[in-house]
Amino acid sequence: MADFADDHLVRLAKQGDVDAFTELVRRFQEKIYHTILALTRNQQDAYDLAQETFMHAYKSLRNFKQRSTFYTWIYRIAVNLTLNFLKKRKSEEKREIHVEDCSLDLKSAASTLSPEGHSITKELSEKLKEAIDSLPLTYKVSFVLVVSQGLTHTQAANVLCCSENTISWRMHKARKMLQQRLRPYLEGE
Amino acid sequence: MRHKKIEKLLSDNIDGELSEKKKKALETHLRNCASCSSYAENIQRIHKEAKSLEKLEASPVRWEEFTSRIKAEIFSAKQEKLRGITLFLRWKWAWAGAALSFVIVAGLFLYLTQNKTPQEPYVFSFESSLARIYQEIGSDQELEELFNSVICASIGETFEDSGWGERPDFYENLILWEDLTEEEMRFLESEIKKDNKL
Repeated sequence: MADFADDHLVRLAKQGDVDAFTELVRRFQEKIYHTILALTRNQQDAYDLAQETFMHAYKSLRNFKQRSTFYTWIYRIAVNLTLNFLKKRKSEEKREIHVEDCSLDLKSAASTLSPEGHSITKELSEKLKEAIDSLPLTYKVSFVLVVSQGLTHTQAANVLCCSENTISWRMHKARKMLQQRLRPYLEGE
Repeated sequence: MRHKKIEKLLSDNIDGELSEKKKKALETHLRNCASCSSYAENIQRIHKEAKSLEKLEASPVRWEEFTSRIKAEIFSAKQEKLRGITLFLRWKWAWAGAALSFVIVAGLFLYLTQNKTPQEPYVFSFESSLARIYQEIGSDQELEELFNSVICASIGETFEDSGWGERPDFYENLILWEDLTEEEMRFLESEIKKDNKL
Protein backbone atom coordinates (compact mmCIF):
# COMPACT_ATOMS: atom_id res chain seq x y z
CA MET A 1 0.00 0.00 0.00
CA ALA A 2 2.79 2.40 0.91
CA ASP A 3 4.12 2.34 -2.68
CA PHE A 4 0.81 3.11 -4.33
CA ALA A 5 0.12 6.55 -5.78
CA ASP A 6 -2.60 8.66 -4.18
CA ASP A 7 -4.90 8.29 -7.21
CA HIS A 8 -4.67 4.52 -7.10
CA LEU A 9 -5.41 4.47 -3.38
CA VAL A 10 -8.41 6.70 -3.97
CA ARG A 11 -9.74 4.29 -6.61
CA LEU A 12 -9.29 1.34 -4.22
CA ALA A 13 -10.92 3.25 -1.37
CA LYS A 14 -13.86 4.06 -3.61
CA GLN A 15 -14.32 0.32 -4.14
CA GLY A 16 -14.55 -0.10 -0.38
CA ASP A 17 -10.94 -0.87 0.51
CA VAL A 18 -10.60 0.50 4.04
CA ASP A 19 -6.85 -0.17 4.17
CA ALA A 20 -6.34 2.01 1.09
CA PHE A 21 -8.19 4.85 2.75
CA THR A 22 -6.24 4.33 5.98
CA GLU A 23 -3.03 4.69 3.97
CA LEU A 24 -4.31 8.02 2.61
CA VAL A 25 -5.07 9.10 6.17
CA ARG A 26 -1.53 8.16 7.20
CA ARG A 27 -0.09 10.25 4.37
CA PHE A 28 -2.01 13.44 5.05
CA GLN A 29 -2.96 13.35 8.73
CA GLU A 30 -0.03 15.42 9.97
CA LYS A 31 -0.35 18.10 7.29
CA ILE A 32 -4.08 18.37 7.81
CA TYR A 33 -3.71 18.43 11.57
CA HIS A 34 -1.04 21.17 11.50
CA THR A 35 -3.05 23.29 9.08
CA ILE A 36 -6.08 23.07 11.34
CA LEU A 37 -3.95 23.68 14.43
CA ALA A 38 -2.49 26.81 12.85
CA LEU A 39 -6.01 28.08 12.33
CA THR A 40 -7.62 27.00 15.59
CA ARG A 41 -4.63 27.24 17.98
CA ASN A 42 -6.10 24.44 20.02
CA GLN A 43 -4.74 20.89 19.89
CA GLN A 44 -7.95 19.14 20.88
CA ASP A 45 -10.01 21.11 18.38
CA ALA A 46 -7.41 20.41 15.69
CA TYR A 47 -7.44 16.71 16.53
CA ASP A 48 -11.23 16.50 16.42
CA LEU A 49 -11.50 18.55 13.25
CA ALA A 50 -8.82 16.46 11.54
CA GLN A 51 -10.82 13.33 12.36
CA GLU A 52 -13.99 14.96 11.14
CA THR A 53 -12.18 15.91 7.92
CA PHE A 54 -11.18 12.32 7.16
CA MET A 55 -14.58 10.90 8.09
CA HIS A 56 -16.25 13.51 5.89
CA ALA A 57 -13.85 12.61 3.08
CA TYR A 58 -14.60 8.89 3.48
CA LYS A 59 -18.34 9.46 3.34
CA SER A 60 -18.05 11.79 0.31
CA LEU A 61 -15.53 9.66 -1.55
CA ARG A 62 -18.13 8.59 -4.10
CA ASN A 63 -18.70 12.23 -5.04
CA PHE A 64 -14.99 12.88 -5.54
CA LYS A 65 -14.58 13.01 -9.32
CA GLN A 66 -10.77 13.19 -9.13
CA ARG A 67 -10.61 16.37 -11.22
CA SER A 68 -8.23 17.70 -8.57
CA THR A 69 -5.71 15.76 -6.53
CA PHE A 70 -6.75 14.03 -3.31
CA TYR A 71 -4.34 16.37 -1.54
CA THR A 72 -6.22 19.49 -2.73
CA TRP A 73 -9.59 17.90 -2.08
CA ILE A 74 -8.81 16.87 1.51
CA TYR A 75 -7.31 20.30 2.21
CA ARG A 76 -10.47 21.93 0.92
CA ILE A 77 -12.61 19.81 3.25
CA ALA A 78 -10.34 20.58 6.20
CA VAL A 79 -10.33 24.33 5.52
CA ASN A 80 -14.11 24.48 5.05
CA LEU A 81 -14.80 22.54 8.24
CA THR A 82 -12.32 24.68 10.17
CA LEU A 83 -13.75 27.93 8.82
CA ASN A 84 -17.24 26.84 9.87
CA PHE A 85 -15.89 25.91 13.27
CA LEU A 86 -14.10 29.24 13.67
CA LYS A 87 -17.17 31.19 12.65
CA LYS A 88 -19.12 29.39 15.36
CA ARG A 89 -16.37 29.99 17.89
CA LYS A 90 -15.96 33.65 16.98
CA SER A 91 -18.21 34.80 19.76
CA GLU A 92 -16.43 32.66 22.31
CA GLU A 93 -13.33 33.78 24.12
CA LYS A 94 -10.00 33.03 22.58
CA ARG A 95 -8.60 29.95 24.13
CA GLU A 96 -4.96 29.44 24.90
CA ILE A 97 -3.12 26.78 23.03
CA HIS A 98 -2.51 23.76 25.24
CA VAL A 99 0.81 22.56 24.05
CA GLU A 100 3.16 21.16 26.65
CA ASP A 101 6.31 22.05 24.76
CA CYS A 102 6.69 24.91 22.42
CA SER A 103 8.16 24.36 18.97
CA LEU A 104 11.39 22.43 19.13
CA ASP A 105 12.87 24.69 16.48
CA LEU A 106 11.99 27.75 18.48
CA LYS A 107 13.57 26.21 21.55
CA SER A 108 16.79 25.32 19.84
CA ALA A 109 17.01 28.69 18.13
CA ALA A 110 16.27 30.55 21.33
CA SER A 111 18.83 28.56 23.32
CA THR A 112 21.65 30.21 21.39
CA LEU A 113 20.38 33.66 22.24
CA SER A 114 21.08 35.70 25.32
CA PRO A 115 18.35 35.74 28.06
CA GLU A 116 17.25 39.10 26.68
CA GLY A 117 17.18 37.79 23.13
CA HIS A 118 15.27 34.72 24.33
CA SER A 119 12.50 36.80 25.87
CA ILE A 120 12.28 39.05 22.80
CA THR A 121 11.93 36.02 20.50
CA LYS A 122 9.32 34.49 22.79
CA GLU A 123 7.42 37.75 23.03
CA LEU A 124 7.51 38.19 19.25
CA SER A 125 6.23 34.67 18.65
CA GLU A 126 3.42 35.18 21.17
CA LYS A 127 2.50 38.50 19.59
CA LEU A 128 2.74 36.95 16.14
CA LYS A 129 0.22 34.24 17.15
CA GLU A 130 -2.13 36.92 18.39
CA ALA A 131 -1.63 39.03 15.27
CA ILE A 132 -2.29 36.04 12.96
CA ASP A 133 -5.41 35.20 14.96
CA SER A 134 -6.68 38.75 14.58
CA LEU A 135 -6.43 38.64 10.77
CA PRO A 136 -9.69 38.42 8.82
CA LEU A 137 -10.50 34.72 8.27
CA THR A 138 -9.85 34.64 4.52
CA TYR A 139 -6.44 36.33 4.97
CA LYS A 140 -5.62 34.05 7.89
CA VAL A 141 -6.41 30.88 5.92
CA SER A 142 -4.37 32.05 2.91
CA PHE A 143 -1.46 32.98 5.17
CA VAL A 144 -1.50 29.64 7.00
CA LEU A 145 -1.72 27.61 3.79
CA VAL A 146 1.11 29.48 2.05
CA VAL A 147 3.46 30.23 4.95
CA SER A 148 2.90 27.40 7.40
CA GLN A 149 2.04 24.64 4.96
CA GLY A 150 4.26 25.83 2.13
CA LEU A 151 1.55 25.70 -0.53
CA THR A 152 2.16 27.65 -3.72
CA HIS A 153 -0.30 30.37 -4.69
CA THR A 154 -1.77 28.00 -7.30
CA GLN A 155 -2.30 25.20 -4.76
CA ALA A 156 -3.80 27.57 -2.20
CA ALA A 157 -6.07 29.00 -4.90
CA ASN A 158 -7.28 25.47 -5.74
CA VAL A 159 -7.98 24.71 -2.09
CA LEU A 160 -9.82 27.96 -1.47
CA CYS A 161 -11.56 27.97 -4.87
CA CYS A 162 -10.32 31.41 -5.89
CA SER A 163 -7.78 32.88 -8.33
CA GLU A 164 -4.02 33.04 -7.83
CA ASN A 165 -4.24 36.83 -7.95
CA THR A 166 -6.64 36.76 -5.01
CA ILE A 167 -4.19 34.67 -3.00
CA SER A 168 -1.32 37.00 -3.94
CA TRP A 169 -3.35 40.03 -2.89
CA ARG A 170 -4.48 38.43 0.38
CA MET A 171 -0.88 37.48 1.22
CA HIS A 172 0.26 41.04 0.62
CA LYS A 173 -2.54 42.49 2.76
CA ALA A 174 -1.99 39.93 5.53
CA ARG A 175 1.73 40.72 5.67
CA LYS A 176 1.07 44.43 5.72
CA MET A 177 -1.38 44.05 8.61
CA LEU A 178 1.01 41.81 10.54
CA GLN A 179 3.88 44.22 9.97
CA GLN A 180 1.82 47.14 11.26
CA ARG A 181 0.74 45.24 14.37
CA LEU A 182 4.20 43.85 15.15
CA ARG A 183 6.29 46.90 14.31
CA PRO A 184 7.15 47.71 17.97
CA TYR A 185 8.40 44.15 18.52
CA LEU A 186 10.27 43.98 15.24
CA GLU A 187 12.09 47.22 15.89
CA GLY A 188 12.73 46.41 19.56
CA GLU A 189 15.38 43.81 18.84
CA MET B 1 7.97 51.98 -9.28
CA ARG B 2 5.63 53.09 -6.57
CA HIS B 3 6.23 51.88 -2.99
CA LYS B 4 2.80 50.22 -2.72
CA LYS B 5 3.51 48.16 -5.80
CA ILE B 6 6.93 47.26 -4.40
CA GLU B 7 5.34 46.00 -1.18
CA LYS B 8 3.11 43.66 -3.19
CA LEU B 9 6.12 42.42 -5.20
CA LEU B 10 8.03 41.82 -1.97
CA SER B 11 5.22 39.61 -0.71
CA ASP B 12 5.14 37.61 -3.97
CA ASN B 13 8.93 37.31 -3.83
CA ILE B 14 8.90 35.76 -0.36
CA ASP B 15 6.42 33.15 -1.62
CA GLY B 16 8.67 32.44 -4.62
CA GLU B 17 6.06 33.66 -7.07
CA LEU B 18 8.05 36.41 -8.80
CA SER B 19 9.52 36.26 -12.30
CA GLU B 20 13.26 36.93 -12.80
CA LYS B 21 12.53 40.18 -14.58
CA LYS B 22 10.44 41.54 -11.74
CA LYS B 23 12.95 40.29 -9.21
CA LYS B 24 15.68 42.39 -10.82
CA ALA B 25 13.49 45.48 -10.87
CA LEU B 26 12.73 44.90 -7.22
CA GLU B 27 16.38 44.58 -6.25
CA THR B 28 17.19 47.80 -8.06
CA HIS B 29 14.45 49.63 -6.18
CA LEU B 30 15.50 48.21 -2.80
CA ARG B 31 19.09 49.44 -3.26
CA ASN B 32 17.84 52.99 -3.44
CA CYS B 33 14.86 52.93 -1.05
CA ALA B 34 15.41 52.69 2.71
CA SER B 35 11.73 52.47 3.68
CA CYS B 36 11.04 49.57 1.28
CA SER B 37 14.21 47.79 2.45
CA SER B 38 13.03 48.12 6.04
CA TYR B 39 9.60 46.80 5.10
CA ALA B 40 11.26 43.89 3.25
CA GLU B 41 13.28 42.98 6.36
CA ASN B 42 10.21 43.12 8.59
CA ILE B 43 8.00 40.90 6.47
CA GLN B 44 10.89 38.49 5.91
CA ARG B 45 11.27 38.15 9.67
CA ILE B 46 7.54 37.67 10.16
CA HIS B 47 7.63 34.95 7.50
CA LYS B 48 10.48 33.13 9.24
CA GLU B 49 8.83 33.38 12.66
CA ALA B 50 5.48 32.21 11.36
CA LYS B 51 7.09 29.20 9.69
CA SER B 52 8.85 28.10 12.87
CA LEU B 53 5.77 28.82 14.94
CA GLU B 54 3.78 26.03 13.34
CA LYS B 55 6.30 23.23 13.81
CA LEU B 56 4.50 21.64 16.72
CA GLU B 57 5.52 18.11 17.46
CA ALA B 58 3.11 15.26 18.01
CA SER B 59 4.34 11.85 19.16
CA PRO B 60 4.18 8.94 16.68
CA VAL B 61 2.01 6.96 19.12
CA ARG B 62 -0.58 9.64 18.85
CA TRP B 63 -0.64 9.34 15.04
CA GLU B 64 -1.07 5.59 15.22
CA GLU B 65 -3.93 6.19 17.62
CA PHE B 66 -5.38 8.77 15.24
CA THR B 67 -5.29 6.35 12.29
CA SER B 68 -6.79 3.54 14.39
CA ARG B 69 -9.62 5.78 15.52
CA ILE B 70 -10.43 6.73 11.92
CA LYS B 71 -10.39 3.05 10.95
CA ALA B 72 -12.68 2.18 13.86
CA GLU B 73 -15.06 4.97 12.92
CA ILE B 74 -15.16 3.77 9.32
CA PHE B 75 -16.05 0.24 10.44
CA SER B 76 -18.67 1.63 12.78
CA ALA B 77 -20.16 3.71 9.92
CA LYS B 78 -20.16 0.62 7.70
CA GLN B 79 -21.91 -1.42 10.40
CA GLU B 80 -24.47 1.32 10.83
CA LYS B 81 -25.16 1.28 7.10
CA LEU B 82 -25.46 -2.51 7.07
CA ARG B 83 -27.82 -2.37 10.04
CA GLY B 84 -29.97 0.11 8.14
CA ILE B 85 -30.08 -2.14 5.07
CA THR B 86 -30.89 -5.23 7.19
CA LEU B 87 -33.66 -3.37 8.93
CA PHE B 88 -35.06 -2.27 5.59
CA LEU B 89 -34.94 -5.82 4.22
CA ARG B 90 -36.58 -7.21 7.36
CA TRP B 91 -39.48 -4.85 6.91
CA LYS B 92 -39.57 -5.16 3.13
CA TRP B 93 -43.08 -6.70 3.07
CA ALA B 94 -44.39 -3.94 5.26
CA TRP B 95 -42.78 -1.30 3.01
CA ALA B 96 -44.12 -3.05 -0.11
CA GLY B 97 -47.61 -3.28 1.41
CA ALA B 98 -47.59 0.36 2.39
CA ALA B 99 -46.43 1.38 -1.09
CA LEU B 100 -49.12 -0.78 -2.74
CA SER B 101 -51.85 0.65 -0.50
CA PHE B 102 -50.72 4.13 -1.33
CA VAL B 103 -50.79 3.40 -5.07
CA ILE B 104 -54.32 1.92 -4.81
CA VAL B 105 -55.67 4.84 -2.77
CA ALA B 106 -54.05 7.39 -5.07
CA GLY B 107 -55.37 5.56 -8.16
CA LEU B 108 -58.91 5.43 -6.78
CA PHE B 109 -58.81 9.06 -5.84
CA LEU B 110 -57.65 10.06 -9.31
CA TYR B 111 -60.23 7.80 -10.99
CA LEU B 112 -63.12 9.13 -8.94
CA THR B 113 -62.18 12.78 -9.24
CA GLN B 114 -61.46 12.69 -12.98
CA ASN B 115 -64.54 10.66 -14.06
CA LYS B 116 -67.05 12.89 -12.32
CA THR B 117 -69.42 14.35 -14.95
CA PRO B 118 -69.46 18.09 -14.76
CA GLN B 119 -72.67 19.55 -13.33
CA GLU B 120 -74.78 21.58 -15.70
CA PRO B 121 -75.18 25.16 -14.59
CA TYR B 122 -78.63 25.94 -13.22
CA VAL B 123 -80.81 27.89 -15.62
CA PHE B 124 -84.16 29.11 -14.47
CA SER B 125 -87.01 27.84 -16.54
CA PHE B 126 -90.52 28.94 -15.77
CA GLU B 127 -92.10 25.92 -17.49
CA SER B 128 -89.95 23.31 -15.81
CA SER B 129 -90.43 24.97 -12.39
CA LEU B 130 -94.18 24.86 -12.85
CA ALA B 131 -94.05 21.25 -14.02
CA ARG B 132 -92.05 20.33 -10.90
CA ILE B 133 -94.61 22.08 -8.67
CA TYR B 134 -97.49 20.19 -10.30
CA GLN B 135 -95.56 16.99 -9.90
CA GLU B 136 -95.14 17.73 -6.19
CA ILE B 137 -98.79 18.58 -5.75
CA GLY B 138 -99.70 15.40 -7.64
CA SER B 139 -103.32 14.41 -7.55
CA ASP B 140 -104.17 16.38 -4.43
CA GLN B 141 -107.00 18.53 -5.82
CA GLU B 142 -107.41 20.62 -2.68
CA LEU B 143 -103.74 21.56 -2.70
CA GLU B 144 -103.91 22.33 -6.42
CA GLU B 145 -106.81 24.71 -5.93
CA LEU B 146 -105.06 26.42 -3.06
CA PHE B 147 -101.92 26.84 -5.13
CA ASN B 148 -103.85 28.27 -8.05
CA SER B 149 -105.64 30.79 -5.86
CA VAL B 150 -102.33 31.94 -4.36
CA ILE B 151 -100.79 32.28 -7.79
CA CYS B 152 -103.83 34.12 -9.13
CA ALA B 153 -103.72 36.55 -6.22
CA SER B 154 -100.03 37.12 -6.78
CA ILE B 155 -100.46 37.69 -10.53
CA GLY B 156 -103.39 40.00 -9.90
CA GLU B 157 -101.28 42.11 -7.54
CA THR B 158 -98.51 42.23 -10.08
CA PHE B 159 -100.87 43.44 -12.77
CA GLU B 160 -102.34 46.08 -10.47
CA ASP B 161 -98.89 47.39 -9.53
CA SER B 162 -97.72 47.54 -13.12
CA GLY B 163 -100.72 49.57 -14.22
CA TRP B 164 -101.87 46.97 -16.74
CA GLY B 165 -105.25 47.19 -15.16
CA GLU B 166 -107.47 44.63 -13.49
CA ARG B 167 -108.34 41.36 -15.15
CA PRO B 168 -111.52 40.20 -13.34
CA ASP B 169 -111.73 37.00 -15.32
CA PHE B 170 -108.30 36.17 -14.16
CA TYR B 171 -109.35 34.80 -10.77
CA GLU B 172 -112.19 32.73 -12.18
CA ASN B 173 -110.12 30.99 -14.79
CA LEU B 174 -108.19 28.16 -13.25
CA ILE B 175 -106.29 27.34 -16.38
CA LEU B 176 -104.94 30.82 -16.48
CA TRP B 177 -101.68 30.08 -18.28
CA GLU B 178 -103.44 29.33 -21.51
CA ASP B 179 -105.02 32.79 -21.48
CA LEU B 180 -101.79 34.68 -21.10
CA THR B 181 -100.12 36.17 -24.16
CA GLU B 182 -96.46 35.55 -24.93
CA GLU B 183 -95.63 39.09 -23.74
CA GLU B 184 -97.47 38.58 -20.45
CA MET B 185 -95.67 35.31 -19.87
CA ARG B 186 -92.27 37.02 -20.35
CA PHE B 187 -93.25 39.80 -18.01
CA LEU B 188 -94.35 37.32 -15.36
CA GLU B 189 -91.14 35.36 -15.70
CA SER B 190 -89.03 38.48 -15.28
CA GLU B 191 -91.03 39.54 -12.20
CA ILE B 192 -90.69 36.13 -10.55
CA LYS B 193 -86.95 36.18 -11.27
CA LYS B 194 -86.71 39.63 -9.72
CA ASP B 195 -88.59 38.56 -6.59
CA ASN B 196 -86.45 35.49 -6.13
CA LYS B 197 -83.26 37.44 -6.91
CA LEU B 198 -82.29 35.13 -9.74
